[in-house]
Amino acid sequence: MGGIQKYNEDELVLMLEQQDQQAFSYLYDNYAPALNGVIFRLVDDKALTEDILQEAFLKIWNNFSSYNKEKGRLFTWMINLTRNLAIDTLRSKGYKKQSKISGDENSVSNVQDNSFNVSRFDSMGIRSQLANLKPEQRIVIELAYFNGFTQDEIAKQIRIPLGTVKTRMRTAILELRKILQYT
Amino acid sequence: MEIKDIISSGLLEVYATGLASREEELQVQQWKESFPEIAAELNEIMMALESYAHAHSVEPSVDIKQKLFNNINTHGKDKGVPLAASKPAVIRPIFSMWKMVAAASVILLIASVAVNITTYNKYNEAGKDLLALQNRLNETEEKNRLMEEDMNVVQSKYSLPVSLHGVDAAPDAAAKIFWMKNTGEVFIDPSNLPEAPQGKQYQLWAIVDGKPVDGGMIVNSKNGDKYRIQKMKTFGRAEAFAVTLETEKGNPTPKGPMFVMGKM
Repeated sequence: MGGIQKYNEDELVLMLEQQDQQAFSYLYDNYAPALNGVIFRLVDDKALTEDILQEAFLKIWNNFSSYNKEKGRLFTWMINLTRNLAIDTLRSKGYKKQSKISGDENSVSNVQDNSFNVSRFDSMGIRSQLANLKPEQRIVIELAYFNGFTQDEIAKQIRIPLGTVKTRMRTAILELRKILQYT
Repeated sequence: MEIKDIISSGLLEVYATGLASREEELQVQQWKESFPEIAAELNEIMMALESYAHAHSVEPSVDIKQKLFNNINTHGKDKGVPLAASKPAVIRPIFSMWKMVAAASVILLIASVAVNITTYNKYNEAGKDLLALQNRLNETEEKNRLMEEDMNVVQSKYSLPVSLHGVDAAPDAAAKIFWMKNTGEVFIDPSNLPEAPQGKQYQLWAIVDGKPVDGGMIVNSKNGDKYRIQKMKTFGRAEAFAVTLETEKGNPTPKGPMFVMGKM
């Protein structure tokens, strides 16, 4: 996580449970760009992306009691909620569940070329470090984590065996962790 | 399952991306609670993915945050909808064959109910008809029985018929006596007597030794027995028979007018 960290996750959760708007403001500042990036990958429309982002944060605020920290990190809950909302919105508008990512691995992560401002997280150099991830590793992470594809769907999308998806996902995340340690 | 096997299973990664099935979720949560190493590993995976998402951040427009806070301050909690409620309902398809079977069953049931109602009504009607027929049959049988009795009287080889003729007061009146020679039983056929007026009743008299003796009351016509041959009192012998109109229940000696009379 970047930015100036004022709260650790436990404090943040406790304050949000009590509907603390200052905590919510902090939550927005620190997580909105990441969630916005995920939505934009799925939606590819700036206005609709920001509508969904707003709705996602409303849900996070109003339904915060349904977050269970025993299940995992706060951001994991938030990104799942946001991704599902984006997918549901697309479905309700008649879009099919599909990826902007084609089988062509060179097209992965080209969201810089858009009308949004480049994220301030880019300045931390993580993005450049991620260039060390093999494209084939990035694609499985992104299809699962950003697009909500099951491993079966990933296997069909990029035409590799299911077993390969499982091992590639694991090695990709291990590689990612290694990169982050040196950042 | 050993910890290293769990870690290398790939299931933790699936869980961290939020794509685990319900069963897988429960399995991972159980491992997480049982083994601190698993919990730590899972946290590492989640943090790595989180960093990945942050690395792909896209700054939203600056006014979005303000809109969001306006929204939560205007609507407060009342806009809150439980997440579970917003999930689309799962509609499980029913195989079309079973739909047809179900539809056919319903149609058959309705048809069956209609037939049952009709049949029940017909059954009720038939029951009423049958009852009416049975009543008519009973009446007919009773009439037949009475007629047979009459015929027995008339046809008996011992029966001696005596015609009673109208007297001056009632020249059109007539009656018939059947006297059984073997038993002395007396029967009368009063069918040609005029209708007895209200409060009056015909009485039969046997003339024995020149004196009238009560032969019994002739049953009134009210109950339809007027035309029936009726059994009267028994006489071993009699010279003549006569019928007078008396007060109801009769008199010990004739007081009313005589209607018919006949000699043996």
